[in-house]
Amino acid sequence: MGRLASDIGGTFTDLVYFDDAEGSLRTAKSLTTPGDLTQGVIDTVELSGLAPGEVDFFVHGGTTVINAITERKGARTALVTTAGFRDVLEIQRGNRPDLYNLRFEKERPFVPRLLRFEVRERVDAAGTVLRPLEKSDLDLVVSRCREEEVEAIAIQFLHSYVAPRHEAEVAAYLRERLPDVSITASHEITREWREYERANTAVLNAYVQPIVQTYFGRLEEALGGADIRCAYAAMQSNGGTTSFSWAKEHPITLMESGPAAGCNGAAIVGDLCEEPRVIYLDIGGTTAKCTTIEDGAPKVTTEYRLEYSRTQFGYPLRVPVVDIVEIGAGGGSIAWFDKAGLLKVGPVSAGADPGPACYGRGGTEPTVTDAKLITGVINATNFAGGQFDLDEGKARAAMEKIASGLGTDVVEAAVAVIRTVEANMINALKLVSIQRGHDPRDFALVVGGGGGPMHGAPLGRELGVKEVIVPLYPGLFSAWGMLATEPRRDFMQTVLRRAEEVEAGDVRAVFAGLREEAERYYQTDAHMGEAEIAYEGRIDLRYLGQEHPVTVLVDIESVEVEAILAAFHDAHEKTYTFRLDDTPVEFVTYRLTASAKVPRPEMTRLTPDGRSIQAATRPARTADFAEDGRHEAAVYERDRLPPGAELTGPLIVEEATATTLVHPGQTLRVDDYGFLRITDA
Amino acid sequence: MASATNGRNGGGFETDVVTREIVRGKLLAVADEMGVVLARSSMSPVIYEVLDFACGFCDADGELVSQTNGITVFTGTFSIQVNIIKEKFGDRIRPGDIYMLNDPYHGGTHYNDVGVVKPVFVDGELFAFAISISHWTDIGGKAPGSLPADATEVFQEGICFPGIHIYKEGERQDAIVEMVAANVRLPKMALGDLNAALASVRIAENRCLELCEKYGKQAVSETFRHILETSERVSREAVAALPDGTYEAEDWIDGDGITEERFRTKVAVTIDGDDITVDYTGSCEQLQGPVNCSRSALVSAVKTVFKAIVDPQSPSNEGWFRPLKVEAPDGTVFTATKPAPVGWYYEGTGQASELAWKALAPIAPKRVSMGSANSLCVTVLGGHDRAKGEPWVMIEPSMVGWGATDERDGNCVTSAITNGDTFNYSIELLEAKFPVRVNQYALNTPGGVGAGRHRGGYGSIREYEILTDDAVLSASYGRSIEKPWAQEGGDEGSCNYFELHVGNDARRAARAPTTIMKRGDIIRMFTGGGGGYGDPFERPAEEVLAEVRADYISAERAREDYGVVLAASGRAVDEEATAKLRAAAA
Repeated sequence: MGRLASDIGGTFTDLVYFDDAEGSLRTAKSLTTPGDLTQGVIDTVELSGLAPGEVDFFVHGGTTVINAITERKGARTALVTTAGFRDVLEIQRGNRPDLYNLRFEKERPFVPRLLRFEVRERVDAAGTVLRPLEKSDLDLVVSRCREEEVEAIAIQFLHSYVAPRHEAEVAAYLRERLPDVSITASHEITREWREYERANTAVLNAYVQPIVQTYFGRLEEALGGADIRCAYAAMQSNGGTTSFSWAKEHPITLMESGPAAGCNGAAIVGDLCEEPRVIYLDIGGTTAKCTTIEDGAPKVTTEYRLEYSRTQFGYPLRVPVVDIVEIGAGGGSIAWFDKAGLLKVGPVSAGADPGPACYGRGGTEPTVTDAKLITGVINATNFAGGQFDLDEGKARAAMEKIASGLGTDVVEAAVAVIRTVEANMINALKLVSIQRGHDPRDFALVVGGGGGPMHGAPLGRELGVKEVIVPLYPGLFSAWGMLATEPRRDFMQTVLRRAEEVEAGDVRAVFAGLREEAERYYQTDAHMGEAEIAYEGRIDLRYLGQEHPVTVLVDIESVEVEAILAAFHDAHEKTYTFRLDDTPVEFVTYRLTASAKVPRPEMTRLTPDGRSIQAATRPARTADFAEDGRHEAAVYERDRLPPGAELTGPLIVEEATATTLVHPGQTLRVDDYGFLRITDA
Repeated sequence: MASATNGRNGGGFETDVVTREIVRGKLLAVADEMGVVLARSSMSPVIYEVLDFACGFCDADGELVSQTNGITVFTGTFSIQVNIIKEKFGDRIRPGDIYMLNDPYHGGTHYNDVGVVKPVFVDGELFAFAISISHWTDIGGKAPGSLPADATEVFQEGICFPGIHIYKEGERQDAIVEMVAANVRLPKMALGDLNAALASVRIAENRCLELCEKYGKQAVSETFRHILETSERVSREAVAALPDGTYEAEDWIDGDGITEERFRTKVAVTIDGDDITVDYTGSCEQLQGPVNCSRSALVSAVKTVFKAIVDPQSPSNEGWFRPLKVEAPDGTVFTATKPAPVGWYYEGTGQASELAWKALAPIAPKRVSMGSANSLCVTVLGGHDRAKGEPWVMIEPSMVGWGATDERDGNCVTSAITNGDTFNYSIELLEAKFPVRVNQYALNTPGGVGAGRHRGGYGSIREYEILTDDAVLSASYGRSIEKPWAQEGGDEGSCNYFELHVGNDARRAARAPTTIMKRGDIIRMFTGGGGGYGDPFERPAEEVLAEVRADYISAERAREDYGVVLAASGRAVDEEATAKLRAAAA
């Protein structure tokens, strides 16, 4: 029997299969099929040659949700709100991040005014009903939604985070009368305050729900047709999985499933390498994403904003998403000069089509991949497992415009492009590490994605991490991470109280309530089986008067208020440079993460059979190591390097989906699992 | 000679251009981090929710090299304020010093905006300055929130820090802390915000030291120069690309809080090669009420629009402003002198910004939108919350409708030009924090917008019901008589005002001196819509129909403003009648 993970990306659909009996992995990669995404999944199953009947667990992630939103191809959605407030979705927060631009453009709401309906009802901040729900107002909503052929409805009333009853009543009423319309009540998705943010979250859930329901339905059929009949799990943005049925009701939680899976993979790598603190960097064709992982799990935030940039506020989504910083820097990122004549790289990418100039598919803009080819880092004849050759002449021709702008030769220009893009990556890495009070010297850097291993070593050195780890199959890392992902859901409750009024019993009681909720959820979740559930508690605390809390980990088995407060003061000082020992502290939100322990695929250790440094050695070549200069570098084939091998840079390691660079002064060790471990002397 | 042969590596720098670009990116990250630390550790809603602050990093000469997104009018005063500290203390500036200042007549805006400046020493040498300015909810004076709309002297607007030590060689100046605590209404909040501001400048110092350690002092200081020089070059090119000449604009200030008179303001912008002079000579004399601004605030207000015209999106710094001169005699409404009140200075700066904007609009049409209902429309409510047994103050800028552009309709309900990346209060948060209920927050469709081929954006209606028996209100809205301007055949926008229902008395006003309010009393705030662009009769009839169907405008307005006649069903355009009506108007 075995476990199958399937990840749909923009260009490729990846599959990783773990055979429990043999302890072996199979992988497959095929082109994504935008017309019917399920086809790509079935294609990889066929390519991999696995026996479908042997699959006893299937987990799936992908870009269905984010694409439906990015391309604005969601359902025709309506919104029902408290009387007096239907324009909140259009007004938003009124801020101008593009602050000197007199022509900036505010985000357009996903529901137009025509489809925003008001209902008389009102609850105050304490949850007291000030005005009962006028159900008669709903008849007009029903008839207008029918007339306008609405496919999905979101409901959001003021203060429903504390008092959801009116929302629930309206949801039940509408579900009964409009059985073909997807209904989302905001409290079903998030219980956090701030009406615009919660409304937007509910609206986006409604907006993608019909699509996700259809898609998962079709996938279930296709899998059945391919004779894969087992529990199906969906990868979520919070780094856990859930059942297809729960995912269909809460599709917005699938938004960043791919990157979340990669974070899990990085956590597992950290665990195997006995590195509990990891910075994970994934470099793909268009973007680089990074996050930090402490205590073996990535940080999860509810402050995610869709389509956020320095100049656009984006759309806030109050659902748990792995805390990722994403920048427009990847292998396809294009180098250019801004108006001030300064060299920039990205965020525009050549993508897969036409791709970098060296792909020879019509691209003429100089990209990071072209720079890597010119500097000798990439092997022109062994790219993507030798699927096609790269054209260095085309890369050089494209890089010429950068060289003439800088007044240098083409190679120096390529080095400048690499240094510039790595500087952008360093800034993103610092944002998730140093700027959040972490010392990189306590962390290992795990690099994934097609481009991660190429940039990992110099970035790790600059950041000052303990070591850089290149995992197995870096090019399929998200699917690999998904394979070992556990079912997870986050439960939270806000109970605002001053610390002097809080006793250990109160804390235990809140967590006990959350735990009951979690147990109910898992009892009704089909894909869970008999698995054991692990709980992890956290509390958000703040100084009296502050709004933004600091979250601390709590031992829910033995709660001590003093210990919680001490941890809070320390965490506050670490984050904000100061502590206020004499200021009262408030307990704000209790968070319980419930994850089911499922058996992880056992990682097998490499056997030295047929492997040796000699067998792995390829012809050396000259390559540029950016700040470290130009060197004759030894080249090795990863699949033939033996466990325990130790080599010193400058050197290059090649494999089918990636190229690893080790700089002068750095040491490479192949560990027992075959991970490449790079350290500075 | 080796110089000037390596292209953009030239300019007399020892460090290479790539390293300078990398350090530049890091300096931007430093300013961002300052902002995050300040907002998240703050104790007042106007900072953590509205984001009424800004942070910056300056070189040893006080020239701003990196700033956060925040309040535009704050970032423009950073360099002036750092230089005030430099001039005052000279060689006596020591490691471990931190200064506080808020004097509107020496670099500041109004007393509420408190600046904290930390000199950064590297190897014993003064190397840079970190600065943050944040709006304190209350800084003493005549009314809760320190913004009496009827102030006649700056002394009624709180206490002044004329550039003083809050830390001296690492030692906190407790006497100052006690003075602050004794003179403001919300001392915990004020000192909490002071802590947050101190944290932000300390973070900046740490990061600067790390940068110098890694790249060397010379690389960092050369990056300062690199930033300023490259920005100046682009800025001069942009100014040179504008046609030489003098461009004028006029406007009115609608009342000053003391009288309801209107006051004339004007500007003349002269472009001469790659220099630009913005001259406010001829604007009215300083007013009795607090809508005046001081010269430092004026300069800052002009910088905002100047940056918008030359290059809105590149990160801002002092280099951009080297081609810019701002002129006006002392004692005008824009260059008020002590002791004129300046509490509502943002009415003055907003007006000054928009004058320059309006004057430049015809020669920079691709950089501007039409006139907005340009006023911060600030409402201050406060008093004693008996239920919580605590004093409370809520200060809130309202958002306004912005003007259309040649490509698009204007934005609805957005922060005015003097603010920037600032937020409205979440209703749920506001009701949990203050004894106020919000009865409505909606687009101000009854007030309307400037019609046009592209229409202006809508303002808002926001209604508060008071839930306590001793609330005090001050409010002062500009643009209450003179409508937002329009060009190219668009219609003017609409005005700002509020309605007060206090006891049995109901009235409409735009500026309210301190007013007592009780439980059940209501203030309903209306902000205006922006100006339109282009002939409204050229707006596609289908767009007009869609807006009638969504209740933005009535069928009558569709006919009158846009020449669009709807079919009896109200769901389609009567093409024939529309063609006839539009043809008749042509």
